[in-house]
Amino acid sequence: MKLPELKPGLELPPLQKLVAQEQVDLYAEASGDHNPIHLDESFARQTALGGRVAHGMLILAYISELMTASFGRHWLFTGKLDVRFKSAARPGDTIDISGRIIKMEKSGTGAAITCSVLCSNQKHEAIITGEASVALPEDWFVSS
Amino acid sequence: MPQTYSELPAGYEFPPGNFRLEKAKVERFLKATGDAGRLYYSDNIAPPNLTAALAMSALSRTIAFPPGTIHASQEMEFFKPVRLDEELTSYARISRTQKRGKIHLIAVEFDVRNQSRQTVLTGRTSFVLPQEESPP
Repeated sequence: MKLPELKPGLELPPLQKLVAQEQVDLYAEASGDHNPIHLDESFARQTALGGRVAHGMLILAYISELMTASFGRHWLFTGKLDVRFKSAARPGDTIDISGRIIKMEKSGTGAAITCSVLCSNQKHEAIITGEASVALPEDWFVSS
Repeated sequence: MPQTYSELPAGYEFPPGNFRLEKAKVERFLKATGDAGRLYYSDNIAPPNLTAALAMSALSRTIAFPPGTIHASQEMEFFKPVRLDEELTSYARISRTQKRGKIHLIAVEFDVRNQSRQTVLTGRTSFVLPQEESPP
């Protein structure tokens, strides 16, 4: 999807995801992270978290999807992430994923775009906060 | 048998970990994240976050993180998409350890290279771990 003219303040098209336990189980199989805090409810209830939580890296993958949707393959070649995990997402949570361009540095070969990114739950609690940046080539900005 | 984190100093280098991104793992990852993955299927490549996750999961085979470990922050940089079934090697090292009262902070830097020894991604992960109990 081609974004309108890129400039600081532009909001990226947001995403929304439902985190079901099925997704957490699948993520454990894909990633090899079988920590019982994600998978075993009776174990998780005995911890300070009080129940199962989703992998932080599962939620972080939503940010990559946000950036790929907006910037395509350029994210795969030049993407950078710098985030903090603020709280845990739990099975049943609905996560809103958003990003906003905060900086754009043009050069002769294109531009470096920096976005603030946020994943939050249905209670508007921050799950992940931080920045994502991508380098776009000059031909991105050439009008068709 | 994994060592405990308290035994590992800053500068410790983990044994390299070899892995491969198989189609089945990519499909499970994309189903888990709810990503239609058109870009990955069309180019026969793996999502970079899956590559990073597999590189990091290799750490748990060497270091035993106790219950209550918190993944505090994550940095990653992507240089090159990984093609399915490429042979990859992850290299990781403890870049920082710090004790603050009853908690222990550890930062681990890692990079992943393909069979041509090209770097495909780098990362830095920080963990907050509870203080290990003293032996009786």
